[in-house]
Amino acid sequence: MNDTSNIKHQTSNILHFLWRIVDVIVGGIFIYAGTIKVLDPVQFANDIDNYKILPWTIGVGLAFYLPWLEMFCGLALILRRLYLGGLSILTALVAVFLVATIAAKVRGLDITCGCFGHASQNWNFPTHLALDLAIFGVLLALSFRVVSGNRLQDAV
Amino acid sequence: MVKSSLVRQAFVLAALAFVPGVVQAIYFGNKVSWRSPVPASEMVTVTQARAWGENAIWVDARPDNEFARDHVPGALPLNEDRWSELLPQFLAAWSPEKKVVVYCSSEGCNASREVAHRLRKEAQLANVFVLEGGWEEWLKEK
Amino acid sequence: MKTHIFAFTLSIALCVTARAGLKWDQTSLELHPTATDKQAIGHFKYQNTGDKPVKFKSVRTSCGCTAAQTQKEEVPAGEKGEITATFNIGERTGTQVKTVTVETDDPANVTTVLTLKAVIPQQLEITPTFVFWGKGEEPKPKTIVVRAAKDFPVKHLKVTSSSPDFQAKVEETGNGQFKIDVQPQETNKQTASTLTIQPEDSQKIFYATARITNAPAPQ
Repeated sequence: MNDTSNIKHQTSNILHFLWRIVDVIVGGIFIYAGTIKVLDPVQFANDIDNYKILPWTIGVGLAFYLPWLEMFCGLALILRRLYLGGLSILTALVAVFLVATIAAKVRGLDITCGCFGHASQNWNFPTHLALDLAIFGVLLALSFRVVSGNRLQDAV
Repeated sequence: MVKSSLVRQAFVLAALAFVPGVVQAIYFGNKVSWRSPVPASEMVTVTQARAWGENAIWVDARPDNEFARDHVPGALPLNEDRWSELLPQFLAAWSPEKKVVVYCSSEGCNASREVAHRLRKEAQLANVFVLEGGWEEWLKEK
Repeated sequence: MKTHIFAFTLSIALCVTARAGLKWDQTSLELHPTATDKQAIGHFKYQNTGDKPVKFKSVRTSCGCTAAQTQKEEVPAGEKGEITATFNIGERTGTQVKTVTVETDDPANVTTVLTLKAVIPQQLEITPTFVFWGKGEEPKPKTIVVRAAKDFPVKHLKVTSSSPDFQAKVEETGNGQFKIDVQPQETNKQTASTLTIQPEDSQKIFYATARITNAPAPQ
C-alpha cells in the first residue's frame, strides 16, 4: 500500500516537473516573441496593417501594447504568478491570430506574420500555421490541465 | 471562483502591460505616424506642392519610358534604374532652400518613397517630400 | 470535448487551403543576387489540384522594374506550371520587396499575391553621397564616411575627383571604415565634382558628388 502511494507520488512529481518545463518553454517563447516586437514597433505596426483587418491607427496602438502583454503573460507562466490570467490571454491571442492568418490566406494576401519579427519573415504559410497550431495546442493542453483541477492549488 | 480569479488576473496583466506600452508610444511619438503608414510630415498634396511655386523641385521616380511619355513640367527624372547617372543633374538643380517633391505613378507605387528615402538617407537632403496620389493625382488636378 | 473542437478547427483550416484549384509551392521567394547581377529571377511554381481548368485573367507587378510571365494562359486540371518574375536590379540596394498580383477565374482563389524579396549585397555604404558648400562659405573640408560590408573586406580605397576644383584625401580609420575629406579650392563660383570611389581589387565603382551651390551658405 505504501509502495503504491510512493510510486503514485513520484509519478505525480515527475509529471508536475514536466509540466513546469512546458510552462517555462512556452512562457519563454512568448517573452522572446514580445521582445523582438518591442525592439521594432514600427515594423510590427506594418505587419499588423498587412492583414488589412484593422485601421492603421488601431494597428499602431496594438503594435505598442501587444508585445508587452505577451511578455508579461509569458513571465506569468514562468513564475506561476497570475498564471490563469496569463494562460487565458495567451490562448485568446493565439486563437485570434490563427483566425486572422487563415483569413488572410483565403483572401490571397501574402504576408509575413510578424509574430517573431524579422526572425520569421522568411517562413512560408504552412510553416507559420504549423508552429502556431502547435503553440495553440500546447496552450489548450495547459488550460485543460488547470481546469481539470490538476495542481490548481499551485496556480496563484 | 476559478472564473473570477481568471478575470481578475487577466485584468491585472492587461493593466500592467498598458504602462510600458504607453511609455514606448510616447518615446516613439515622432518616429511613426498614427494617421497613415507614411509619416504625415513627409507627404504633400498636389495643391500644397503647387503653392510652393519656384521653391519646389519636382522629381519623377518612374521608369525612363514613362517620364519620356509625359511628366510634370520642369520635373527631373531620378529613378533607381539609373541612380548614379541621373543624380548629378538633380543635384545641379538643387539648392538648400528648395523643397523636393518626388512622385511616381499613383498612391500605390513605392518608387517615390524609395527615391525620397535615398535622397534623405544617402544624400542627406532635408525637405524631401512624397507627392500624395502621384502622377495620377497631378493629372486630376491639372 | 476539447479534442473534438481542436480537430474540428484543424479540419476547417485544412479544408480552406485544400479547396483552392491552383496550389502554389511557395508564394514568397527570397533571392540573393550577387553584387554584379543585373537581374534577380524567381520561379513561382503551381499545380492545378482542382478538377476544372484555371485561366489567368491578369498578372500585374508592383513596379515597372519587375516583369512577370506565365508559361500558359490556361492551366488544365492536374497540370503544373510556373510564373517567372524577373526583377531588374538597376542601382537598387538593400532588401527589395516586389509583388506580382495574379488574378484567375478560380472562385476559391481569385487573387494571389506572390512576393519576391531580393537581398542586394551592398559592398560599400557611403554617407553622405553628397557634400556641398554655399557660395562664400569657408572652404573647410567635409567628410564622407565609407563603410565596407562584412562580406566584402576592403584594404584600400582609390578616390579621384573629376574636377581640379576639389581635392579628396582618403584615410583608413580601421574596421573596414574609411573617411574621405573633400575640400574645395574656393567657394566663389558654382562648380561641381563627381568623386569616383573604387575599392582595390574590385570592378565596381561608386560615386559621390561635391558641389558649390548658388545659394549662400546655410546658417
